[in-house]
Amino acid sequence: MKNIKLTVSHAPFWHDGDSLFRMNLNIMIAALPAVICGLIQFGGPALGVLALSISSAMAWEYIMAILAKKKSDIGKLDTAVIGLLFGMMLPATAPWWLIIIGTFVAVIIGQTIFGGTGANPFNPTLIGMGILMISWKTFFDFNAAYVNYSFDYSHLAPLSAIKQFGASAAADFPITNLIMGQQVGAIGSTFGLGLIIGGIYLILRGYIRWEITLSFIAGIILTALCFNLANPEQYAGPMTHLFSGYTLLGAFFLLPENSSSPVNRIPMLIYGLLAAIMIILMRNIGVYTDGTVLAILLVNLINPIIDTIKPKALGKGASHA
Amino acid sequence: MIKRSFFSLSGPGFNYDTVEPDLKEPTSIPIPPKLILLVNEPVNPGKKALIKAKSKVTKGQKLCLYSESTEYTVSPISGKIKAVESYSDNIGNLSTYIVISDEKDDKSSSKKSKKSSEKSGASDKLKASDKPDDSKESGDPEEISYDLDESLTSADEFLRMLPGAPPLKQLAAGEGKIDTIVISGVDTDLLSTTRQYVTLKFFDELKKGALLLQKISRASKVFLAIPATLNLPETADTLQVIKISEKYPSALPALILKDHLNMILPQGKSPEDLGVCFVSAEAAVSLARAYKAKTAVFEKILTVIGKGGKAYRVKASIGTPLTRVFKALRIQLNDQDRLIIGGPMRGFATYTVHHPVEASMDTVIVQKQTKITEVSDSACINCGKCIQICPAQVPVNMLVRNLEIAKYEEAADFYDLFSCIECGLCTYVCTAQIPIFQHILLGKHKLLNFKADAEIGDCK
Repeated sequence: MKNIKLTVSHAPFWHDGDSLFRMNLNIMIAALPAVICGLIQFGGPALGVLALSISSAMAWEYIMAILAKKKSDIGKLDTAVIGLLFGMMLPATAPWWLIIIGTFVAVIIGQTIFGGTGANPFNPTLIGMGILMISWKTFFDFNAAYVNYSFDYSHLAPLSAIKQFGASAAADFPITNLIMGQQVGAIGSTFGLGLIIGGIYLILRGYIRWEITLSFIAGIILTALCFNLANPEQYAGPMTHLFSGYTLLGAFFLLPENSSSPVNRIPMLIYGLLAAIMIILMRNIGVYTDGTVLAILLVNLINPIIDTIKPKALGKGASHA
Repeated sequence: MIKRSFFSLSGPGFNYDTVEPDLKEPTSIPIPPKLILLVNEPVNPGKKALIKAKSKVTKGQKLCLYSESTEYTVSPISGKIKAVESYSDNIGNLSTYIVISDEKDDKSSSKKSKKSSEKSGASDKLKASDKPDDSKESGDPEEISYDLDESLTSADEFLRMLPGAPPLKQLAAGEGKIDTIVISGVDTDLLSTTRQYVTLKFFDELKKGALLLQKISRASKVFLAIPATLNLPETADTLQVIKISEKYPSALPALILKDHLNMILPQGKSPEDLGVCFVSAEAAVSLARAYKAKTAVFEKILTVIGKGGKAYRVKASIGTPLTRVFKALRIQLNDQDRLIIGGPMRGFATYTVHHPVEASMDTVIVQKQTKITEVSDSACINCGKCIQICPAQVPVNMLVRNLEIAKYEEAADFYDLFSCIECGLCTYVCTAQIPIFQHILLGKHKLLNFKADAEIGDCK
C-alpha cells in the first residue's frame, strides 16, 4: 500500500443517481402516450413534424455550442425535450420552415442567449411558440389545418367553436371525446387521458412539482366555473376548458418547466393559480382562442418576484438574540 | 449506496444506522512501530521549532510546535520523532504531521546531549509530576503522568487530544458561560455506530465522565442524547436522557437544539454561544479514564466500512496510520478508490492511506472506484429538490447561484449561507449533480477568512 493514488472529492459521497439525462428522458417517456395517440390520429405528417422538431432543436443547440466554442450538452436531452414539446404543440400540417424557425427561436432566443439550461427566465418552448403564433397566425388555425383530413368527429377545434358560437357549441364536444383524443388540435394536445397519465407519472417520479399542476387545474376549474355560472350561454363549462386546447399540456409539461417556475410551496400555488386565471380570462374575454401560451409566458415573468415568498431559514434574524 | 426510489414524491428518507444488539468485541490493532500525529497548526519555518527530527519523546508527552503554540498533540508512545511535515486538509487548512517511531534510544549516539536539550525544550510547558529526563536516564518504561485537578484549565492543558476529542478548548474559553452539556451518544452521520457502541459498552465510565465534566465545567444541566431506537443498559441517574429521532439529519447539533432544547441556533453562531456544549460519548468515557489513570489514554473506537459495505469495529491507538487498520482487516485499496474519513454525507476524502487515526474520527469508509458518483459543471436547473429537502429552509437554489460566482457576501446576507447545518442532503438529491455542499463549505471558509483578515487589519 505504498503510493496509492486515491480519488479525492467532496462530501457527500453518495448521490441518488439522478441526472439531467434521466430527468429529460422521463419527461419524454411521459409525453409518449399523448404523442402516440397524436400519431395514430394524424398519421405520417405528424411523425414528420415531431422528427423535424426534435432534430432541429438539437441541431440548433449543437451549432450554438460550436459557435460559442463550448462543450455541447446535447447528450443531456434538454433541447430534445424542447423540440418534442414544440412539435406536440404544432398542427400536423405545419410546414418544415415553420418548425425550423420555431425551434431556432425556442432554443437560441428562448434559452441559449440567456445562458443555457437553467438560465432561461421563460419557458423556451413557449417563446418559440409565442413568436410563431403572432407572426404566422394562419398556421395555428386548427380548423383550417385539417381540411384535408376526415374524422368521425367534429372538424372544429373546440376552443374556436366556443369562441365563435358560444357555450352551446360545447355540446358538440362531449367530455369523453375530449379525453379520448376525439378532437381536432395540435399533435400532442388532443389525448387528454394520455397527458394525465404522463403527468401523474412525472409527479410520482418527482420530476414535476405537484403544487403547480394541482393549483393550476383547480384554478382552471374555479375560474371557468365562475364565468359559466355568471353567463352559461356565453361561457363554456370548466371541463371543456380543462380538456381542450393546450390546457393539459400546459398543466403537466409547460407550466412546471423547472427554470421558469417557482420552487417554494406558496409561490408555486400562487403561480399555478395565476396562470389558470390568465388562461380563462384570455379565452373568455380576450381575443385569443387559446391563451395558454401567452398566459404561461406572462406568469413566467412574475416568477422571480413571487418566489421571494419563502420560509424563514433556521436561525435567521435570531443573530442578535 | 441508496439510490433514488422509483417513486420519489417525498424525497429520500435516510435513517441513521443502529448499533448491533450484541455489541461485538472490536478488532484490536496493535500499536505500530511508526505513528503519525496531527497538530492543528501549520509549519512555520520562521519560528524556532521546539520539536525536530530525532528528538526523543515520552509516552504521554505533550508536543507543541513552537513555544507560543496553543495547539498541541500528545505522543501515544515513547520513541523518536522521525519527521515533521506539512499537511493540507480538503479545504486548504494547513496543519502538521509529526511522525514518531518507537525505536529505542541507542545510547551510543554522540548527539545525546543535544537531543536531550531539545527534548527538554519540548517539555518545558509540561507540568509533569515526575521528571521525564530522570526517568529516561534510568531506562524505565516511560510514561508521563499528569498533575490533573478538577478544573477546566488543567484538563485543557493535557487532555484535549483524548479519543473522542473533548471540546475542552471551547469549554475553557467559555468558562462560566456554558450552562448545558449534551453528551452525544448519537452518531451524526450515516453508517457510523461508534458513539452508540461506546455509550452502551462503557456506560459506567460514560456516567463518571459526565459527572466529571459537570464538575469541571460547572454546567447546571447535563443531557445524554441517544437514538430513539436505543435502550440504555441501566438508568442514567443524574443524566437527563433525550431521545433523538432516527431520521437523518436530526442528530446534528443545530437540530438537537431546536427539537429538544427549544433553542434556535442563530446564523453563524456555535452552540457554545448559546451556552450549550456538545461532547461525544467517547470523549466523556476517555475523560473518566484519563482522570482515573492520571495520564492520557489513546485507544480509539472506529467504525470501518469496507468496499462491500461490510462494517467492522476497530480499536486502535490514536496516530495509527489507516493503512495498518486496512491490513488488519484485509481491506485492499486500489488506485482511484476513495478513502473517506467520517460518514458518507459529511465526511472528507483524504489523499493518503497513511492518514492517522485522529481523536475525532468515528468512521472510515473505503469506497470502490466504480461506486464513486460523478459531479458535473451544469448550472442549477431550479428543480427545487434541494429546497424540499433542506432541514434548515435555506434557499439553496439562489444560494448556489451566488456561491458559484464567488458572491459570498450576498450569499450570506440574502440567501442564508450561515443557516446551513451541513447535512449534505441538497447535494445528494441534486439532479444537475452540482457539488453544492463544497460550494457552501468554501463560501463559509472564505468569509471567515475575510473576517479574520479584516480583524487583523483593524488591529494594525
